Amino acid sequence: MSEPDAAQEVCLLDDDLSVLNSMRFLLLAEGFTVRAFNNPEEFLAHATKNHVSVLVTDIWMDRVTGLEVLARLCAISPKTKVIVITAREDSAARATATAIGPVAFFIKPFNDEKFIAAVREALG
Amino acid sequence: MRSERKEPGLQQVDELNSKQREGQLNLLQTITMEVAAAGDIGSALEIVLRRVCEKTNWALGQAWLPNKQKTLLECGPVWLCGRPELADFRAASEKNQFPPGVGLPGRVWQAKAPAWIDDVREDANFPRSAAARALGLKAAVGIPILSGDEVIAVIEFFMREPRNENEQLVKVIAAVAAQLDLVMERKFAAAELSRTNEILHSILSDMGDAVIVADKDANFLVFNPAAQRMFGQGATKTPPAEWPHRYGLYLPDKVTPFPADQLPLTLSIRGDEVNNIEMYIRNQKVPQGLWTRITGRPLHGANGELLGGVIVCRDISAIKEEEFFRAGQSQVLEMIAADKPLHEVLKSLVLLMEGQAEGLRCSILLLNRDGKHVRHGAAPNLPEAYVKAVDGATIGPRNGSCGTAMYRRQRVVVTDVMTDPLWTDYRGLAKICGLSACWSSPIISPQGDVLGSFAMYREEKRGPHREEERLTAIATHIAGIAIERQRQQEMLREREARISLAAESAELAFWSLYPEQDNVWMSDKGRIIYGFAPDARLTCDSILSRVHPDEREKIKAEYDSACAIHGKFESEHRLLLPYGKVRWVIMRGRCLKDEQGKIIETIGVTVDVSSQKQADLQLQVQREEMAHRNRVSLMGEMTASFAHELNQPLTAIANNASAARRFLDRGNVDPAMLRELLQALAADSKRAGDVVQGIRSLVRKDTSTAQARLNLNSVISDTVRLVSTDLLSRESVVSTEFDSALPEVNAAPVQIQQIFLNLITNALDASEGLSPSERRIIISTRSDRGDVAEIAVRDFGSGLPKDRPDKIFDHFFSTKQKGMGMGLTIVRSIVEAHGGTITAENAPDRGARIVVRLPAARGEFEKNKAAA
Repeated sequence: MSEPDAAQEVCLLDDDLSVLNSMRFLLLAEGFTVRAFNNPEEFLAHATKNHVSVLVTDIWMDRVTGLEVLARLCAISPKTKVIVITAREDSAARATATAIGPVAFFIKPFNDEKFIAAVREALG
Repeated sequence: MRSERKEPGLQQVDELNSKQREGQLNLLQTITMEVAAAGDIGSALEIVLRRVCEKTNWALGQAWLPNKQKTLLECGPVWLCGRPELADFRAASEKNQFPPGVGLPGRVWQAKAPAWIDDVREDANFPRSAAARALGLKAAVGIPILSGDEVIAVIEFFMREPRNENEQLVKVIAAVAAQLDLVMERKFAAAELSRTNEILHSILSDMGDAVIVADKDANFLVFNPAAQRMFGQGATKTPPAEWPHRYGLYLPDKVTPFPADQLPLTLSIRGDEVNNIEMYIRNQKVPQGLWTRITGRPLHGANGELLGGVIVCRDISAIKEEEFFRAGQSQVLEMIAADKPLHEVLKSLVLLMEGQAEGLRCSILLLNRDGKHVRHGAAPNLPEAYVKAVDGATIGPRNGSCGTAMYRRQRVVVTDVMTDPLWTDYRGLAKICGLSACWSSPIISPQGDVLGSFAMYREEKRGPHREEERLTAIATHIAGIAIERQRQQEMLREREARISLAAESAELAFWSLYPEQDNVWMSDKGRIIYGFAPDARLTCDSILSRVHPDEREKIKAEYDSACAIHGKFESEHRLLLPYGKVRWVIMRGRCLKDEQGKIIETIGVTVDVSSQKQADLQLQVQREEMAHRNRVSLMGEMTASFAHELNQPLTAIANNASAARRFLDRGNVDPAMLRELLQALAADSKRAGDVVQGIRSLVRKDTSTAQARLNLNSVISDTVRLVSTDLLSRESVVSTEFDSALPEVNAAPVQIQQIFLNLITNALDASEGLSPSERRIIISTRSDRGDVAEIAVRDFGSGLPKDRPDKIFDHFFSTKQKGMGMGLTIVRSIVEAHGGTITAENAPDRGARIVVRLPAARGEFEKNKAAA
């Protein structure tokens, strides 16, 4: 297998392994190239060295919140398109995330079609 | 014996020549006559000495008599033949006492035979030889005077010339001595008899007991002075049949004349012995009457023939009176014991006392419980006017004898009520009643309370005699017992009334079980509680039949074993009454056993606690309801966490299912990947199920109290994880510091989780408004010596009320805008229901610290000790 095209690669970040894996399977089934991260620091390290076109992240994670990750990613890779997934509807969180500028916002459990469409759109 | 001994002497006399014989017979005759006339042995001996000296030319004669102990001979009468110079020898003799065998008298005494000394100056065994030599005494003869085999005297004669033994002379003197013996013996006997008579006479005169002797024809031979006093007159010539009438003799009933043929003297004359016959005597000379106890014996002659009879009578009046007095006291005491009315008892007591002395009148007054007023007690022989005047009077320092005695708590003796200042206010009354002296003693209880007074009245002016003092002491003692007893009875009745009143209002049943008779007594209230008819006969089984069928067997077994082992029993159970009514009761009983340990009675009470029980049950329901609401409300507060917990697996399931379908749609299914997907699906379904299960157990009511052995460290970890989403959303951090040696506890998991959910929520609320870096909660655990698990939850908020940190456990106390203020109250009730404690305090720098201590599960302490 050849080195995937970074421009077509989707990065996933979630501290919940089963949710992370399920999203990876879903995107794989649709033929996307997927890189999954269980740990925000690992992802941020990756983003520092590599181009990240699209990030799908859970906004409530232990230790560092998804919002914090977004803020730091913004500094590292301002062009990365972000899709936010959250377990809880929270107007304040949504406002903040919107300010940072995610391309899409999903509340778990989410509609798989719309999700795939959003990822596809983000990849351009 | 005696005649044999005399005969040789007389024969010897016959052989003398006529002149000698005539002189000797003359001597014998003279001596015999004179001795017979002599008053005593001393003068008889003197006669013998004098006559022998005169007729036979001896210069000196003297007699020796044995002392009382019969160990020595002592000087007796002497005859000096008108020669004063011989007094020197007499003086020498008087200095001597001879034991048997010593000197001439001792030799004769020992040998019981005459002895002749030719010349005393040459005799080795003659201690008085110096005196004899000085006076020229030479020949000597000693003759014994025998009575039977006993030497009663020794006579000795001396003369101035030495002379060989004159056998003839010795025989004559011996014959004279024998004559003397006869005379003296008679004299002795007469003297002895008269002395015995004298003694007997004086005994009979002086003795206190009456002695009467009569011959067999009932003629009085002896009637001593005591008998004359006792029977009122001396011996009379009266036939026995008239004795009872003549002397006033009665049977112990004091009225029936003593049957003449049964009189002790009559019986003893007839030959019968009588012992301790009691007789009452009353006649003109003995009007007050007296008691006597008589013993009689028949008198017999030497040949056993009946001579008459003797009786000895002892005056036992004093003993008898005391006996009657004691019997009277016993009677009064019996009345007290039989709970006779106090007035009857006191009246009997007063009459008993009055019967002990002539002219004595007595009264008893009672002091009211107010300690001020008196009531009439008993005064059967005082005028009614007097009794009425005294009833209701007050006591005081000058209130007659009784009022003053009760006031002073001292005996008051008034010898003349007409002059004594204590009687100033009562003189008129006393005059009407004819009273002069009044002595009163307070009646004092063992506790020292004055109960009343006992008084003696007399018509003559005087103080009490010793006997009257004694009677007073006895009377106050007995009256004290009677009054005290009556007071106690009154108090007992009052207490009983109070108890039964309390029992009625307290839903109490009293009962007694008699297992032997299978009989049960039960109070009226008890019959209502147990649903028995008022007149139904009750048995042990009827009681048991009322116990709820579910508990009947158990209660019966518990009752039997508790009674057998401890002698008492207590149980809380249900009764099922007719028509289906259920009562909750507590039954307590105590067994009364006999000496063999067999239960003769079980007494007890049954308390109807239905209403309390109802209230308890209601309270418990309310408490559970409250706890449940608290849990539901906690769930509401923690929705983010629960939603997240549930959303995660649901999201994964949805994604995985969608992915699998997409792989299938595209037709390029990697079986390994499909398997992986299906496994993930199954795992997430289970995870979702667990979350739902957890929520359900928190919300459900019925499973909340089931206990299990718990490791609190893991319960805390689970709880923190459960609320992690909320912690994130509130930007708070919970850190844990676990003691790995924390003992396990026995507790209901849901309730323990509820404790920690509440404490964390509470800490989160307290952290609101702090900067995110301060929103920290520290949960630490610690083993306290292995038998207590201690959990502390601390925050860094504004802390607790300074004055009373534990106020936060009160109902409805809240510092927060939202919430009911019930959370911590519920936490405390859960902790306490688990036997633990909860305290709240302010941490040293800031914030609050709440400490929960729960007892370790059984066996934990030992386990931890072993591990250490």
